Amino acid sequence: MSLQSASPLLLPQSERTADPTQRTRRLRRLHFSNGLALSLLWFVTMLVAALFVAIILNLVWTGLPALTSPAFYGTGAQGIGPELFNTFYILILTELFLFPISLGAAIFLVEYARQGWLTNVIHFAAETLAGVPSIVLGMFGFLVFSSDAHLSISRLAGALTLLCLNFPLGLRLFEQALNTVPRELREGGLALGATRWRTIRTVILPSALPGIVTGLILTAGKIIGEAAALLFTMGLFNPANVFTLNTGLASDTLTTKLYYLKGAGAGSTGLTTAQETLLAAGISAVLILLLLIINITARSIGRLIQRKLTAA
Amino acid sequence: MQYNQRARWSDQVARAVFFLCAILLVVIILAVIGFISSKAFNIFFEHGGTNLKTFFFTDNWDPTGVNDPTGNGNPGFGAGGLILGSLVITLVSVLIVIPLALGTAAFFTEVAPRWLVNFLNPLIEIFTGVPSVVIGVLGLTVLVPFLSRLLTPFAQSLGIVGATAGFGWGAAILVLVIMILPTTLSIAIDALHAVPASVREASLALGSTRWQMVCKAVLPAASSGLGTAIVLGLARAIGETLAVELVLGGNALPRNLFSLGALFQPSINITASIAEIFPETSGVSQDAYWTLAFILLAITFLFICISRYLASRSVYQ
Repeated sequence: MSLQSASPLLLPQSERTADPTQRTRRLRRLHFSNGLALSLLWFVTMLVAALFVAIILNLVWTGLPALTSPAFYGTGAQGIGPELFNTFYILILTELFLFPISLGAAIFLVEYARQGWLTNVIHFAAETLAGVPSIVLGMFGFLVFSSDAHLSISRLAGALTLLCLNFPLGLRLFEQALNTVPRELREGGLALGATRWRTIRTVILPSALPGIVTGLILTAGKIIGEAAALLFTMGLFNPANVFTLNTGLASDTLTTKLYYLKGAGAGSTGLTTAQETLLAAGISAVLILLLLIINITARSIGRLIQRKLTAA
Repeated sequence: MQYNQRARWSDQVARAVFFLCAILLVVIILAVIGFISSKAFNIFFEHGGTNLKTFFFTDNWDPTGVNDPTGNGNPGFGAGGLILGSLVITLVSVLIVIPLALGTAAFFTEVAPRWLVNFLNPLIEIFTGVPSVVIGVLGLTVLVPFLSRLLTPFAQSLGIVGATAGFGWGAAILVLVIMILPTTLSIAIDALHAVPASVREASLALGSTRWQMVCKAVLPAASSGLGTAIVLGLARAIGETLAVELVLGGNALPRNLFSLGALFQPSINITASIAEIFPETSGVSQDAYWTLAFILLAITFLFICISRYLASRSVYQ
């Protein structure tokens, strides 16, 4: 709209005036501050986006020399073979606990429980647990799983700590997935005389599948990236026979290895500083690439299953 | 009839199993609070421990006694410096994050064209998941040397004692900004999305410009949701460990605490101290760390309660 044709009502009562030049000036000021503020918003957003993109590109770019050398994937001092194995091992072990338990809890909250004090208590517990710093949960895991339950510093203790850490996230994601199932499907199942459990198995879970798979993949991303909770429960070192399924072994992962390289153990790894830095850059790049893959698969698998289900 | 009975029975079993899964969550959080608070106060009562005043108001933190200048291995239990460090880096980083997160969120929901939203959305989502140790290593290899190069010429005027290597609260604050920005941003975006379109339409129909609509109608309408975003950012920042540990690089407060240079000298906070020394401790010195863990737990619990209160006040869910 042009400035001249704008109604005087656009201005607050105190500023309304019959003088057209004064009115135009005020309107122009208004539009100028609007333009200024919007360009400021553009600037801030572009700054944030550029920062994010620059960090991701920097990590991948500096890691590239390590990624292209075959020794990087081996088991030597400059290889991450054991850590890759351990990361996926601990991921699967944790998901074995986390997936059924958090999905079960989500089913209870969405399908069985009535909204009331019980669901409130559980949601409050979830929010509180989600807020507990991972280092504190690591200390808790060290006390309860490693010491009191005599699991010592082991993969099992690490996996149980990660269960505590990621339970609230899993619960939230699976609750979201179940909430996307329309009410009519539930009522249809129940109206056919099926029990609630049969309705869940045959109707609700299949139609919530895209969301459930997405949730599974997103919790996997969190598990792969966690380090602080594993410092005291899984340790920083590998035994000689690391490539076994023994849950009682202490072992490191990509993230804890990265921390050890540049933090606790910098200078005592038997590598030169340049080699340490190169290895650390490589591990960072691997973690970022894993994360990218996880995000992209989570999105596309959700969409793919959705398409298959609705087409069939 | 028999089929019916079996079906009903299995329904009951399933219900009980799912109930146990859900209750496990409550059990876990009660166990976390119970176990940690059961150990939190030992340090104030046992032999070789300390008292509340020394713990909170002095800054000689050395529970294992390895840094005792007299060489007798006398431990020090002054956590004041650690707590100060955690508070400084948490508050300053959140102060920096607030304008960035609110500005970006407002742009994202009110101004941005469709293609840009499609680009930014996955970017924020990916960044929320970047492991903190990766950001810490990046801070150590890029940010710390950069700060060192940038600040060395001004070392004298900033009051820095000796040369600066770039480690310290300043680097930790910048690393924390990167760590909590995506979380705060995505919650803030959700809060703005929850404001119904009618609020925007009403504002625009009254003749306001787009900017007036954003700052006079949409932001106030979402204020409690935005408050939640900030409080959860605080909770995340105070518990952030490895990213901060890697760039703090100290074991005591800087000597010139009341100058700008204090931000750029090796320093301490709660979480870094736990990550570095907790595994090597036992007995009394370990109890000191349980007290620190309890402090972290209590602070985050407070933040969660505030965020819940804000969420319960919000008009638009």
